[in-house]
Amino acid sequence: MDLCEPGRARPAAGTPLYVHLPFCAAKCTYCDFYSVPAEGHDLGGMVDAILEEARQRAPERPRTVFLGGGTPSLLPPALLRRLLDGLDALTGFRASAEEVTAECNPESLDLERARVLLEGGVRRVSIGFQSLRPEVLESFGRVHDVDQAFAAFAAARRAGVPWVSVDLIFAAPGLEPEAWREDLARVLALGPDHLSAYALIFEPGTRFETERRRGRIQPVPEEDELAMFHATRELAGGAGLDAYEVSNFAKNGAQCLHNVNYWRNGPYLGLGPSAASHVDGVRSVNVRSVEGYRARLGADRDPVTSSERLEPLARLGETWWLGLRLAAGLEPEAALAVAGLTGPDPAAETVARLVGEGLLERAEGRVRLTERGLPLADAVGREFLGLAAPAAP
Amino acid sequence: MVDIQHIRNFAIIAHIDHGKSTLADRFLEVTGAVQRRDLKAQMLDDMELERERGITIKARAVTIYHEVGGQRYELNLIDTPGHVDFNYEVQKSLQACEGSILLVDSSQGVEAQTVANAYLAIEADHALVPVLNKTDLPHSHADEVCEEIENVLGIDATEAHRVSAKTGAGVPAVLDSVVAEIPPPEGDPDAPLQALIFDAVYDEYRGIIVYLRVFNGTIRKGDSIRMMGTGKVYEAIEIGRFAPKMAKDLSLAAGEVGYFISNIKRLGDVVIGDTMTHHKAPAAGMLPGYAPPQHMVYADFYPTSPGDYELLREALETLSLSDSSFSFAPVTSDALGFGFRCGFLGLLHMEIVQQRLEREHDLDMIQTAPTVTYRIRMADGTEQDISSPGALPSPDKFEQVLEPIARVGMLVPSEYIGAMMQIANDHRGVFVRQEYLSPTRVQLVYDVPMAEIIYDFYDKLKSATRGYGTLNYEITGYHADELVKLRILVNNKEVDALSSIVHRSQAETRGRAAIKKLRKEIPRHMFEVRLQAAVGSRIIAREAIAALRKDVTAKCYGGDITRKRKLLEKQKAGKRRMRQIGNVDIPQKAFLAVLSGDEKKS
Ligand SMILES: Nc1nc2c(ncn2[C@@H]2O[C@H](COP(=O)(O)OP(=O)(O)O)[C@@H](O)[C@H]2O)c(=O)[nH]1
Ligand code: SF4
Repeated sequence: MDLCEPGRARPAAGTPLYVHLPFCAAKCTYCDFYSVPAEGHDLGGMVDAILEEARQRAPERPRTVFLGGGTPSLLPPALLRRLLDGLDALTGFRASAEEVTAECNPESLDLERARVLLEGGVRRVSIGFQSLRPEVLESFGRVHDVDQAFAAFAAARRAGVPWVSVDLIFAAPGLEPEAWREDLARVLALGPDHLSAYALIFEPGTRFETERRRGRIQPVPEEDELAMFHATRELAGGAGLDAYEVSNFAKNGAQCLHNVNYWRNGPYLGLGPSAASHVDGVRSVNVRSVEGYRARLGADRDPVTSSERLEPLARLGETWWLGLRLAAGLEPEAALAVAGLTGPDPAAETVARLVGEGLLERAEGRVRLTERGLPLADAVGREFLGLAAPAAP
Repeated sequence: MVDIQHIRNFAIIAHIDHGKSTLADRFLEVTGAVQRRDLKAQMLDDMELERERGITIKARAVTIYHEVGGQRYELNLIDTPGHVDFNYEVQKSLQACEGSILLVDSSQGVEAQTVANAYLAIEADHALVPVLNKTDLPHSHADEVCEEIENVLGIDATEAHRVSAKTGAGVPAVLDSVVAEIPPPEGDPDAPLQALIFDAVYDEYRGIIVYLRVFNGTIRKGDSIRMMGTGKVYEAIEIGRFAPKMAKDLSLAAGEVGYFISNIKRLGDVVIGDTMTHHKAPAAGMLPGYAPPQHMVYADFYPTSPGDYELLREALETLSLSDSSFSFAPVTSDALGFGFRCGFLGLLHMEIVQQRLEREHDLDMIQTAPTVTYRIRMADGTEQDISSPGALPSPDKFEQVLEPIARVGMLVPSEYIGAMMQIANDHRGVFVRQEYLSPTRVQLVYDVPMAEIIYDFYDKLKSATRGYGTLNYEITGYHADELVKLRILVNNKEVDALSSIVHRSQAETRGRAAIKKLRKEIPRHMFEVRLQAAVGSRIIAREAIAALRKDVTAKCYGGDITRKRKLLEKQKAGKRRMRQIGNVDIPQKAFLAVLSGDEKKS
């Protein structure tokens, strides 16, 4: 492959496809995804640019497609159609994909949008509820209210979207574990097929993080955060949603295949500003700018601004870090294979140590996080970064 | 050649910041040696570090010419280091002179270092010229300061010069007194050569430059010279004097001060206080007072990543080219792996070396808390010096542990006497005497174990006296006491690098303080970290660092895994500046912090 232009290689047929739509109604205070307020932007121009990038390098017959952002549901119906029709014409995803997801926000997901998405080939929507507390929604800078979230859910169902997922954030400042249990119970009562529940993270560069540094907001106590983490697992389990990943729950095997592929350290191609790709062992990221992205595609230049090829040891470390997030854990042999390694396993010593510390456990040839290790997934994952080659015997 | 009668060799003794460098600059200026605008900074301190710290680390010398009554005199000003760690060097500098200017800041008064150095000068039989500086300041109180000088030092100060080194007022008259009060050197230019090495510096381009004072005989360019202490022989490739910069000359005769350059590679090859003589026709004996550097404080340096061991060794070797007074030897620790035990003249010297290593060699290292040398009296009657707590033999093997004792002179405003006595008692000090310099200032003299001084005595003195107290000390000998090893255990594993030797009566408080500090320094782990302090098998303090229970952030969405990974890697890199002991990561800072008293900087 041409290393000078890693972004231009067209990945193998079947490679999962991600599409980043970088517009939102307003910027949320905690969000570090690349997105800008839609106001004043040429949304149609962006759709055309993405289709141009797709023409250049989108894989044929992708196994999964994920429209993320940003807020894809914000696109007017006509543009949504143009995007989905265009992508299908270029890749044939409607026939090939087992799963096609669109991220949606309550303020823009109505019956009409839901129908357009469905007609366009989307089979799964993920709705950003984030919270059921007006004061929390306000502090998050969300532009919708709780009723709109429920209405969006109902619209998706009424339109007949086969899989509906809800996104929630816990451990918002001031949120008590009891309140979180109530909120979660209300969401579960809707009967979503899938739930993503993340603890609030103070991401560098976000408004929330600045406020925290200035002491204007206090993170919830660790005990409370932990209580909410466990409550989520307990209540979701009670509602028939299995915890298949640290923060993700699915009913009847309705896991998000697209995300599972990330956690398995598989390949994927990302289109759109700031979209990341992982193709042939090279990770790359598109330019994080709406204007920059359009300018590059308009001038027939590569939108990729940074890329790295990981050494096998680094790949192995990533494979473990990501793979351990899955409830099923991973097979050491499979991890070696993903990294393209043979021979003694450089991760074996770390695994043994963490098993000894009660953070990992072995079951049927696989290694996974223990109950205690689960809420420490990042700390455990960190142990696998920077693995050293095992000493020659 | 200058007639020996027209030479004066002198030093300026002063407490830090009393204006020694400023006065030296004025001397250079009024004698026309340099123009004022050339005085970029004070000429006598030239290492970057020195300027920063405002102290002279290494003595330098300068030659100026001054006329009195139509006669031109050669005045050799020999600079002295300004800190208690360099007492031996001060003595050697003073030995090279016949007299000293006793410089006191008239807005501050006599300080501990004034007293200590004045005593050294009196011991060296110096003629003293008292000078009160900073009389331009509104709060200058010269009369009282004169009284202090008379009370403490027993020197007649009624005639003391009152000057401002800043404006230059009164400065020329000081030089007149130097000529009038300080005797010319004595010595026979035709006798066998005896020259004192009073300093040596490393110069990147010229190698080692030896500073010497000729007592007898004459040294000429090309002579074959023997160092009587080390027995090494060198050719006098270049000799010269300082006027004010180094100027080549053909010879230096009895009474004169100058420099000597040969092909000497490392500073360690030259011993300050050594006597130079002619290889062929040597002098009968050495000049008095020769002693190799005495290391009072030891600390271990370990590379933060074990792979940097060689780098550290190279850095220490390079540094030893330009600092002859620290020593280093390989050492291994169960906890920290391979490193070096380094010996220093004192705490300040240790800090200087450590900073130079970091600054000049960009090294990341772990430094253990400093310790003194203990003398162990073994059961079989033999004695053995140890410089690390880990080296203490098991209790059945030895009879006694002796520790170095320092006689400490503290000058404090009288309202702080009570507080200072309390601090001295807390640090196992034994009262020696108390003297009033004036109604408001007192000198307290205590014998205090050196180990207490390096623990936190100095910091305590400073804070108890709001910075007004000053201190000086001198090692006077070894004393047996009930000393025990304070063991520190991390998850039941003893960490020798964190252990220390303490007095039995302090074990509990020190142990508790150490554990508290470790608790603060060691980050939370994915498991509980248990910290214990023990004497023998008795646990005297314990703490636990609760296990980290929640650390899952990354929302691995959108596939930007590189960004998330970099975040984790950054957190992990933070851990690299720590040392793993068992499976506990201990940050660099903890090793130093654990054994120091509270509120220590750095
Ligand atoms: N006002 C005043 N300040 C002075 C005088 N002599 C020195 N200083 C200041 O006192 C400080 C210490 O002087 P310095 O010569 O560096 O002291 P050293 O540590 O003894 O060498 C410097 O800030 C000088 O500028 C003086 O006669 N009058
Ligand atoms: S809607 Fe989503 S992508 Fe947009 S700013 Fe809010 S959190 Fe970020």
